[in-house]
Amino acid sequence: MTSSLQHAFRPRSSTAPAVVANQLIKHFGDLEVLKGVSLDVPEGTVTSIIGASGSGKSTLLRCMNLLERPDQGELAIADEAIRFDRNPQGDIIGLDRRQLQRLRAKVTMVFQQFNLWPHLTVLGNVIEAPMRVKKLSRKRATALGEHYLERVGMADRRDAYPAFLSGGQQQRVAIARALAMEPRLLLFDEPTSALDPERVNEVLGVIRGLADEGRTMLLVTHEMHFAREVSDQLVYLDQGNIACSGTPEEVFADPRCRQFMAPAA
Amino acid sequence: MDFSWLSDPFYLGYLWEGFVNTLWLLLVSAVGGLLLAVLVALARLRGPRPLAWLVWAFTTVMRGTPLLVQLFFFYYGVGHLMEGVPGIQETFMWPLLRDPFFFAALTFILSVGAYSGEVIRGAMQSVPRGELEAGRAFGLSGFQVLTRLWLPRAIQLCLPTLTGEMILLLKSIPLVSTIALMDLLQAANIIRDETFLVYEPLLLIAGIYLATTVVLTLVLRFVELNFPGMQPTQRRWLPIR
Ligand SMILES: Nc1ncnc2c1ncn2[C@@H]1O[C@H](COP(=O)(O)OP(=O)(O)OP(=O)(O)O)[C@@H](O)[C@H]1O
Ligand SMILES: [Mg+2]
Repeated sequence: MTSSLQHAFRPRSSTAPAVVANQLIKHFGDLEVLKGVSLDVPEGTVTSIIGASGSGKSTLLRCMNLLERPDQGELAIADEAIRFDRNPQGDIIGLDRRQLQRLRAKVTMVFQQFNLWPHLTVLGNVIEAPMRVKKLSRKRATALGEHYLERVGMADRRDAYPAFLSGGQQQRVAIARALAMEPRLLLFDEPTSALDPERVNEVLGVIRGLADEGRTMLLVTHEMHFAREVSDQLVYLDQGNIACSGTPEEVFADPRCRQFMAPAA
Repeated sequence: MDFSWLSDPFYLGYLWEGFVNTLWLLLVSAVGGLLLAVLVALARLRGPRPLAWLVWAFTTVMRGTPLLVQLFFFYYGVGHLMEGVPGIQETFMWPLLRDPFFFAALTFILSVGAYSGEVIRGAMQSVPRGELEAGRAFGLSGFQVLTRLWLPRAIQLCLPTLTGEMILLLKSIPLVSTIALMDLLQAANIIRDETFLVYEPLLLIAGIYLATTVVLTLVLRFVELNFPGMQPTQRRWLPIR
């Protein structure tokens, strides 16, 4: 279908990593959730963040589209250094709104709870941000939306409302919604944790396909086998620190890392 | 039962005028009131502190005092107070300030604004945070999140309650007969005074109210059923099994 969209996604040849995070620190009140996390996500690769519950995985992921604002550190995303307002001590106290909006059009997110908009149809969900944020015409956005719904196998349900779909179908629509912005970076926060076991594979299948396409992705997951299989880089987060990182082979070969993985695997 | 007066064109004229006024008042108060209600909800949720407090006080007063007292307060109190303002009789405002319809509409708009404002506020608070967060995560502006996601979702959630509010509004309208506005009850009162028939005119307007309520209910039910994204289980015309 829609041949003009064949080239909609093209991995960038630039060698700059899609994400460079340097010494990110984040507090919630007195609780220090990220204690100086540094992380590179090279363009065209998949990084999985694993770790125990409460270790700060979601918080780290949400720093990447600034749903959470770090308190300290530096962040460059999609070739742009994020311009934080800082107080004289260097603490981050504000953001550049323009840049934030631009960033969020380039970094999209798939949530654990899908978070589809229930009053919009499947297609309506997918074309909303392309139309309102990227200011595409409805026609152009619809073509794009149909393309990505096809990609996740949901094209035939384009006029359905989310309440009529299974969890797996909703999550696939949510992935299409994230793809339709044609982002530089895709964020996934435990995309299969809210699904019935028999629905997990249809979603993992879609994500695996995206990894094979060479999309840049940052993924929080408890699916250890899946993470091992699709990731170029594994990051193990332990109480706000990166305890272990490297290729899956390195991480699983390292006895010290293995000991972290054991309970989860 | 004596309904012979129904052939008198004068009485029919009163009834018709009363009916039209009732519908107009319903429409103006519903539209104006619901717009105000959205502002009330927003002010309470996102307004600066002093405004939020002010609106809370407004809501409390409007919900805590009888509608009839409010109607008298605005018509006799405010209306006659304004008469004393020097020069006001020359302004475009003057015809309005003489018009019971204006004060009736004002009272009802404020009342609907207060009651429905609370309903909408509650509904806005019960929209799952994740849906709004998804909006922000995709780069929608705060205003876009409000108008495209938050308000439509909130209204979807409280539509049945708002329907109930509108039906209550319709049946509050006879109160305006006390400020010499020609509504259905006023028409019935005139007919009673002139024909000495008590029950028949009342019975007739009760029937008209009932029919109007049924039509209003069906119209609003139609809106509910066709509101985008309704749950499959709610798709039933009458809430009867
Ligand atoms: N908005 C918030 N306000 C206060 N505390 C928060 C907030 N968000 C997260 N936290 C706390 O920060 C810590 C890390 O949370 P985070 O959600 O990042 O963990 P996680 O690794 O994603 O855990 P899980 O596997 O359960 O999703 C937790 O202790 C959590 O309670
Ligand atoms: Mg989490």
